[in-house]
Amino acid sequence: MKVTLHELAFARSGDKGDVCNVGVMAKSRRIHEHLVRALTIERVRAHFGAMVQGAIEAYPLDNLDSINFVLRGALGGGATKTLRFDQTGKAMATAMLRLELDVPAELVEEARRVTSALGLR
Amino acid sequence: MHSVRIASGSAFWGDMLEPAVELIEKGDVQYVGFDHLAELTMAILNRTKAKDPKAGYIPDIVPWMQRLLPLARARGVRLVTNAGGANPRQAALEVGRVASSLDIGTLKIGVVEGDDILGKVDALRAQGWKFQNLDTGEDDLGAIRDRLVAANAYIGADVIREHLAGGADVVITGRASDNALYVGPVMHELGWDYGDVDRVGAAITVGHIIECAGCVTGGMSNLWKISERPWAMGFPIAEVWQNGDAVIEKPPGSGGVLDEWTVKEHLIYEVHDPASYLMPDGVADFTALRLAADGPGRVRVTGMKGKPRPSTLKVCFGYRDGFIGEGLAFFPWPDALAKAEWAARWVKERLAICGVQCRELRVDLVGVDMLHGELAPRVDRDFNEVGIRVAGRTRTADEADAIRREVTHLWNSGPLGSCFGVPLKVRPVVALWPSLVPREAVPVTGEILEVG
Repeated sequence: MKVTLHELAFARSGDKGDVCNVGVMAKSRRIHEHLVRALTIERVRAHFGAMVQGAIEAYPLDNLDSINFVLRGALGGGATKTLRFDQTGKAMATAMLRLELDVPAELVEEARRVTSALGLR
Repeated sequence: MHSVRIASGSAFWGDMLEPAVELIEKGDVQYVGFDHLAELTMAILNRTKAKDPKAGYIPDIVPWMQRLLPLARARGVRLVTNAGGANPRQAALEVGRVASSLDIGTLKIGVVEGDDILGKVDALRAQGWKFQNLDTGEDDLGAIRDRLVAANAYIGADVIREHLAGGADVVITGRASDNALYVGPVMHELGWDYGDVDRVGAAITVGHIIECAGCVTGGMSNLWKISERPWAMGFPIAEVWQNGDAVIEKPPGSGGVLDEWTVKEHLIYEVHDPASYLMPDGVADFTALRLAADGPGRVRVTGMKGKPRPSTLKVCFGYRDGFIGEGLAFFPWPDALAKAEWAARWVKERLAICGVQCRELRVDLVGVDMLHGELAPRVDRDFNEVGIRVAGRTRTADEADAIRREVTHLWNSGPLGSCFGVPLKVRPVVALWPSLVPREAVPVTGEILEVG
């Protein structure tokens, strides 16, 4: 079923110069294993389009069920120079969570159970 | 087993003071680190010092020490801060003055200097060091040489450790890496040295987890909805044991949220390759460690790994690169979105009439697409209000001011109901050029001042 990444994972982003990193933390081990296959650099590149000008790298952290995406040329020149209101890329994580994926319904159910158990619904 | 308890009292210049007070009073800690610096902050402090040789440190250190020193002295808590910024010696003198005015006995203040390499750049270039830009690959620092306003190396914990061994109650550094403020006390207290790469890796990892203070206890969190009394959030404490394991917690009774998710959130924050988190004191590998809940509000971190410290240090050059002018205006129902779009065009046409040359111009619709840009889906609804934010980068301050001024003209010339608050100031751009410098070219020095 088609859902946004927001259903399946948490995310946090930050800056170093004009490089933005977005950590994607899957809500379960099985979801992480799915994301490692489905959330490819190509998908992320297509999602961000012109917002990211440079290379994209992906670093899986299987011990944390997370993937760290490094987006280069992603902040309009970096905090001190950019014309973006979001100078330090804090909102980039939420932009990532808009990405739509087609995933098995049972994984969506699993993610919803985690979200509810945390009291986030 | 011997352990050390260390906490983070600040993440940036302008952070809250009350959580640091709570850490000292209720956190049962031996050390509190305070990070106040960022890339832009160093550029601002260097400019301030250029105008006044007695300035260039974080001015907040004066009221903060006024409040914290009596509490810290009463409990034997030692404070480590990079509030020295571009002028650590002057900051130490100011803290000395504060200490003398308080009834706290003798205070030993350790100063750490040597991170400022602006005066050595030409000599190093003459020796053949290129200072290649790590972001862009450019290697002609000469092109920006006369516009340089700052060149600070991110120094490690060496001299912080020496000062702590020498009995310093307070250590004040310039551009020490945020991380070193935590690595120094941990290495000192547990008697670790740089050959012990996994333990230093653990100190770096723990430093990374807590160094942004509230960012691991509910700030910027996906869990913001379940953060308890977030306005009274506690800042983080790490207890690190001799074997390299650690527990992350926060003061008893404090607000916020701290669990495996918030620790995870911060582990991946502002990191590139997580197997090689490069710091001046070593390289941490975040891909082997384990997190486990250890009771409410406590997370255990085990299995942390490291690699030897690099032979180079990061250096960040700041150089003048024109100006930014910006303006905000807001438009009410009816037709709020149409009014905002009308105003966006109006400002662009006015800038053309006035002949203002922008190197780059950007207009965002506030409430519609300002934060997610083209990723924000177009919504067609009857908005209560929509704003525009106009920002342009120019060569001169006058051109930047013209941008600001044209937005304010909407007050009288815009659609029905056009509003704006206080006009924004033009700001100079300090562009950054991150690079590397050989470690041996940055001799770090220190001195302990004794006051009272």
